[in-house]
Amino acid sequence: MIVHSKLSSGAHIGANTTVQHIMRQVMLAISPATAFGLFCFGWPALNLFIITLLSAVLFEAFCLRLAGKVARPVIMDGSALLSGWLVAMTLPPWAPWWIGVAGAGIAIILGKQVYGGLGQNLFNPAMLARIALLISFPIEMTTWPNVAPVFSAHAPGLIESWSITFSGLGGMASADAMTGATTLGYIKTEFSQQHWLPDILADHSIFLDFLGWTRGSLGETSSLLLAAGGIWLIRQGVIKWHIPISLLLTVTVLSGIFHLMDGQHYVSPLVHLSSGALMCAAFFIATDYVTSPNTPAGQLVFGAGCGLLIFVIRTWGNYPEGAGFAVLLMNAATPLIDHYMRPRIYGRYRNGKPLAQKVAVQEHKQ
Amino acid sequence: MFISESYRKIMRDGIWDNNIVFSQYLALCPLLAVTVTATNGLGMGLATLAVLISTNAIVSVTRYLIPSEVRIPIFVLLIAAVVTVVDMLMDAWLHELHKVLGLFIPLIVTNCAILGRAESFASRQPVALSLWDGLMMGLGFTMALVVLGAAREIASAGTLFANASLLLGDGFKFIELTLIPNYKGFLLMALPPGGFIMLAFIIAGKRLLDRKRVANKAQATLLSEAIPEEIR
Amino acid sequence: MKSDSDHIKWLIEEAITYKEFLKHWLEPSNLERLRPRLAFQTGVLAGFALIASFLLGVTHCSTHDAIQQRLDEDLQKSLAEVVPSTLHDNDLLQDTVTVPSAEDNLGANETTVYIARKAGQVSAVCFKLAAPDGYSGIINMVIGINRDGEILGVRVINHAETPGLGDKIEIAKSSWILDFNGRSLLGLTDAQWAVKKDGGVFDQFAGATITPRAVVKTVHRGLQFFNRHRNELIGS
Repeated sequence: MIVHSKLSSGAHIGANTTVQHIMRQVMLAISPATAFGLFCFGWPALNLFIITLLSAVLFEAFCLRLAGKVARPVIMDGSALLSGWLVAMTLPPWAPWWIGVAGAGIAIILGKQVYGGLGQNLFNPAMLARIALLISFPIEMTTWPNVAPVFSAHAPGLIESWSITFSGLGGMASADAMTGATTLGYIKTEFSQQHWLPDILADHSIFLDFLGWTRGSLGETSSLLLAAGGIWLIRQGVIKWHIPISLLLTVTVLSGIFHLMDGQHYVSPLVHLSSGALMCAAFFIATDYVTSPNTPAGQLVFGAGCGLLIFVIRTWGNYPEGAGFAVLLMNAATPLIDHYMRPRIYGRYRNGKPLAQKVAVQEHKQ
Repeated sequence: MFISESYRKIMRDGIWDNNIVFSQYLALCPLLAVTVTATNGLGMGLATLAVLISTNAIVSVTRYLIPSEVRIPIFVLLIAAVVTVVDMLMDAWLHELHKVLGLFIPLIVTNCAILGRAESFASRQPVALSLWDGLMMGLGFTMALVVLGAAREIASAGTLFANASLLLGDGFKFIELTLIPNYKGFLLMALPPGGFIMLAFIIAGKRLLDRKRVANKAQATLLSEAIPEEIR
Repeated sequence: MKSDSDHIKWLIEEAITYKEFLKHWLEPSNLERLRPRLAFQTGVLAGFALIASFLLGVTHCSTHDAIQQRLDEDLQKSLAEVVPSTLHDNDLLQDTVTVPSAEDNLGANETTVYIARKAGQVSAVCFKLAAPDGYSGIINMVIGINRDGEILGVRVINHAETPGLGDKIEIAKSSWILDFNGRSLLGLTDAQWAVKKDGGVFDQFAGATITPRAVVKTVHRGLQFFNRHRNELIGS
C-alpha cells in the first residue's frame, strides 16, 4: 500500500473553468454590493462607475494594440472590466470623472500591462490604483458624500449629477453640507481631539454601518452584501476560504485583545468588521489568484499578514483605512511566501525527497 | 580621419548609445532625488558636467603618475575636492539655486558615473579625448536629467522650467511655461515612486526607438546589398 | 653688475637643468619604473592630497565672504518680511540678544532675538522658531512681534511638507500665514490658538490638518516665549 496524502494540486488535472467564467462569477458576486452603493449614492456614482469601467476597457485595448496583440479576445475575457469595476468600487462615489479615468489608467497600464498582462503582475491592479490616487489626490479621494438614495428628496438629480461628475463638488454651494467623514476617519479625528471611545460612538449605529447605510467608497459600504457575495464565491469554488478567514480572524482577534485591554483607545472588532473595505479586501482583493500565494499554508500566512497590517495601519497609522496598503505590502511578500511554502511535488515529500516505497520493501521481505 | 571618427564615437556614446542614465543605469540616486522639475535637473546636470570635465582632465593629465594600487583613493580625493569647490562656488554665485540643490551637490561625490569615467576612460586616454568624453558624458547626463525633470514636472504640476530664471538669470524668464493651466497636480509624479515610473517609461521609449533604428538599418542594408543566406 | 649677470646666467642654467631633470623624470617610461615603489605611491597620494587641500583652501578663502554675505542677505530678507522697515532705523543683524529657550520648545536651546529700534527705543523684536511636529519634518519659521505683543508677521523659511497640500503655509502659495498678523495672547484665549477643527480660530487646509496645526501651536509657543522674556527684551 502506498502512503496516501491529499494532493494539493496536480498539473495534469485539466480545469473546466475558463478565465471568462471566473471573471463573470466574481462580477456576479460583487454586483449586489455595487448595486446597493449605486442606489445609496445616486446618479453621480453611476456616472463615475460607467466612466471607470469604460476607460479600463479602452486602456486595455490601447495597450494590447501597442504590444501588437489582437485586442478582442483578451478584452472579452473580462479581466480588464473586473479590474475597472474593483477600482470603481473603491473610489469615493462622487469623485470627479478624471479620478475614474486616472484610476483605470493606473490599474490597467501600471498595474497590469507593463508587467506583460493578465497573470504577470506583482501587485493587485485595483489596489495599486487606489493607493496611487489616494497619495496623489488626497482631497478628492477623501471627500465622502452623505447617503442620499436615488429619487429621495435631497439626492442630486440627473442634470445635477453631471455637474458633480464633470466639474466637481467644489463648485456647489452646499458641498460641505453634503459630505462628511467615514466612520473610521471620524474616530481618528476625534482621537486627535482627545475624545475617547464610548463617547465618540455614542449615537452611532454600527449595525447601519454593517448594512452599508453609511459614508464610504462606492461599492464598499455594505459589509453584509460583500460578505454574502464572498461566501457565495467560496461555495462556487472560485476562491478558497483560507485567505478571507485568516484575514478576518486576525483582525478580529487582534482588535478584540486590544479592545478588551483598553476600550477607550481601541475600537471593537465589530467596528472593524463593519467597515466594508475590510470585507472587500478579504474576499475580492486579497484572493486575487495572481498576487497571492499558491499553497493553502501560504495563503493562511498571507491572509494573517494582511489582517495584521490592516489592524496596525488603522490603529496607529496616518490613514484611517489600511486595507489597500496592507494588501499591496503583502503582495510584495508573496514571492517570498511562495519560496518557503512550495506546493508538494507529486511523488515527493515537502522537503523534496522521494516518497518512501514502504510497501515495495515489505513485499520484497516476504 | 581616424581621430575625428573616435571623437564622433565618443559623442554618440555619451549622448545616446552609452548614456550614463538611459543605457548604463548609473547615478540613479541623484537623478531621482533632484528631477522634480526640469530646472533642478538642468542645474544638477550642469554641476555634474563641470565636475566630470574637471576630474577627467586632471586624471588624464596625471595618468602616468598614478599607480594602480592607489588609484581609487586618489580618484575619490580628486572628485571630492572638485565637488566641494563647485559647491562653494555655487553657494557664493548661484545662491538661490544652491538653496534648492544644496542638499544634492555633495551627493555628486558618490555619483558612480564620475568615478566610472575616471577609471574606465580618463586614466587610459589622452587629455583631449578625456576632456571630450567628460563633456559628452556630462551632456548626456544633463540631457537625461532635463528630460526626466521635464516629464515629471509636466505630469506633477503642469509647468515647465519653473524658476529657471534663478539658474539662468532673468533673461530666461520666457522659458518658464505653464503648460496646463488650473492643473490639479498629479502628486505621485513629484514623489520618488513617480521618478521610478517615469524613468521606466523613458527607458522603454528609448529602447523602442533603438529597436526601430536597428530594424530600419537592417532593412536598408538588405535592400542595398545581397546578404548571404546564413547570416540572415 | 657683472656678477649679477653671471648670477642670472647661472640661474637660467640651473633652471634648464631642473627642467631637463623634470622632463626626464616625467617620461612615461621612467614613471613606469617608479610606480610599483611604495615610497613613490605614498608620495603621489600625499601630493594629490596636498593639491586637493590647496584647491579647497583657495576656493574657501575666495568664496567665504561672498557666502557669508548671501546668508546675511537671506536672513535680512526674511527678517524684513516680518518687521517692516518703517519700524526701525537700526541694523537688525547687529542688534541681538540671546535668550535660553530650551524649555520653550522652539527648536533650539538658545534663541537669538533681533531687536528693532526706532530712535533708540525698542519697537519690535523678531526671532526664528521651528515647529518640530510638521507632517514631514521640521518647519522653520521667523516671527516678528511688536512691543505690545501683537504679531507683525510670520513667514515659513523652509519645510518639507507635501507639495500641493501642506505647502499652503508658504506665502508664495497661499495667504493663509497672513492670518496671524495682529493676533496676540490678549486677543485670543489659549483654546482659540488652534485650527478650527480643534475648536480654534485658524483655518486648516482641505485635506491637511497636521501642518497648520503644527504652525499654529508653534506660533502660540513663540508668543508665550516673548511674553515670558518681554521685560528683558523691551528694556534692553
